[in-house]
Amino acid sequence: MARAKRERLSHDRKEVVTISRRGWLLAGVAIAASCLWAGERLSVAWDGDDLRVAAPQLHFLAGKPLDRLKDGAAVVFLTQLTLTTDNFTTSLRRTPERFIFSYDLWEEKFSVTKLGESQRTISHLSATAAEAWCLDNVAISSTGLPQDRPFWLRFELRAAEPKDEAAVIGESGLNLTRLIEIFSRRPRDQQPEWTADAGPLRLGELKRLVGRAARAL
Amino acid sequence: MKLLWLASILGSSLLLAGNPEQEVNVNTRYTVESVELAGDNPSGISTGLRGELKRLVGAKLNPAALDDLATRIRQELHVRAVTHRLLRGQTPEHVRVVFDVRGTPAKFDASIPKLVYRSDGSFSGLAEGTATLGSQAFTFGGVSDGDNLAERYTGIVARYEDKRLVGDRVRFRLDFESYHEQWDQATANALDQPTAESDTSGIYRTRQNIEPVVTFVLAKSGSGLVNLTVGTSFERFQSQFPAARTESANAMVTTLRYHRRVEGSGANQQEWDAGYSLRAATNLLGSDFGYTRHQGDAHYAYTWGHNQFVDDLTGGEISGRAPLFERFILGNSTMLRGWNRFELDPLGGSRMVANTAEYRYRLFDVFYDSGAIWDQGETAVLRHSVGVGIRQNGMYAALAFPIKEGHIEPVFMVGMNY
Repeated sequence: MARAKRERLSHDRKEVVTISRRGWLLAGVAIAASCLWAGERLSVAWDGDDLRVAAPQLHFLAGKPLDRLKDGAAVVFLTQLTLTTDNFTTSLRRTPERFIFSYDLWEEKFSVTKLGESQRTISHLSATAAEAWCLDNVAISSTGLPQDRPFWLRFELRAAEPKDEAAVIGESGLNLTRLIEIFSRRPRDQQPEWTADAGPLRLGELKRLVGRAARAL
Repeated sequence: MKLLWLASILGSSLLLAGNPEQEVNVNTRYTVESVELAGDNPSGISTGLRGELKRLVGAKLNPAALDDLATRIRQELHVRAVTHRLLRGQTPEHVRVVFDVRGTPAKFDASIPKLVYRSDGSFSGLAEGTATLGSQAFTFGGVSDGDNLAERYTGIVARYEDKRLVGDRVRFRLDFESYHEQWDQATANALDQPTAESDTSGIYRTRQNIEPVVTFVLAKSGSGLVNLTVGTSFERFQSQFPAARTESANAMVTTLRYHRRVEGSGANQQEWDAGYSLRAATNLLGSDFGYTRHQGDAHYAYTWGHNQFVDDLTGGEISGRAPLFERFILGNSTMLRGWNRFELDPLGGSRMVANTAEYRYRLFDVFYDSGAIWDQGETAVLRHSVGVGIRQNGMYAALAFPIKEGHIEPVFMVGMNY
């Protein structure tokens, strides 16, 4: 009896519920955001030493950073891979990296330089190829991680603010600390940022890369 | 060994501390074809900085140099931001550099455009507050001035200005003034003369002016500027005698101004400034007075090291019957200093010419003023004065001596921005 009454009340309520325009707008934004989030899937592979990531749906050469590149400026992208065994409560290991992108005004191709001890540059790339090269050059060591132990990976990518660029592309040892500090603070309103998580994963279950495949995920 | 290790670390740091963008921006292999300034008021940069921009042309692109120049442009123009971008040049393998100057930030400034005290008891001052939002500025201030005109006017001033009405070539300005007037007894006595009423208005208690004007930048280059201002002045005043009534002097106003600054080698600099203004009051605008007022002025300054020579020449003529506030005066704190303007002509004159020559060395300055003021049909009498002064950061103190026969009483003036 009581249940029937509750159902009747619930039914009556449904009839009078109206969705405001603001509600529709919020719903639309939520759906779009969830689609974007879902698009940035992170796939993880293991080459025996390092964990490597790929995110074919991630296109970070867009918006303001792309505008700056097309204006002839060099743009610094900062990446960070975080390895954790407790679903990001504490981090086991972090590897921040710095990439400098530039866009050749005459050839209309991108050039990317990975900064660090072994600086590497590649040029004449399309936007997609430049993005892929960047991710190919991001890895984190799996040393000490048992094959059957669950772990999680988080990949973060952020375009550096122009005023921060000088600090983050200077001498390596000094600025890795600065990189971690940058990732630990909230991005500014105008600062594009992408984040994707994967896990729980186990080394024994991951796709094993061998030879060339280790460089071209 | 430890020292060697430290030295190697320091050395490698210095090697790597160059500009990484120089090494990694693929466009650094291109040659700069041209350098342009775009955006808000980009013409106001110094010749020295403009020369450095020109020196980029023909050289390989250097992003660090562009960053440095953008910072210096921002500092010189006092603007919110200066960014730079590259465009393909007309010639292959060449790029055009464009510096974008982005407007002034929203801010509020309080200023004292004029403050002067004269030993003959006259005190004048203007204080203003200006709120700036982008290219638009709102100003409100209070003034009491017994130095500029035959009258002392005390009241409020308000102004709206849009410096980018149409691009950076057309500006709009709307002035509002409302004053209460005070008169020297010498002026009141002079108005009792039978001919005075045919030359000018009677004295008035209050005066209001609304003046919308548009300024067109006719020519603009790195060192020169030509502006034409046109508009209308709607001026009303309440006469006291013979009976209280409101009269108006509505006039078309036109001003043409020229400015040029040339920086020579070293610290040498020359500056020219000249202007001509015309106010034509006519019945077509509902004016109770019909007259035309012409005024011209020229300013020249030559600076070398700590020395500066300045010459200011001013002249004007009024034809027709103009109210007292339009008439010229001499013997104030800027023209024919040392003379008492009420002794020269308590009503002001309809003809005037004056010159000021100054030599300045560091803080010190000496000046020689000359001028004549008269009315139509009278003979112009040229008068002279000399003086010395000290000038520092807008503050100025001067002692001026009128050159005349008989008892000479110097006038001491002190103030700022006058």
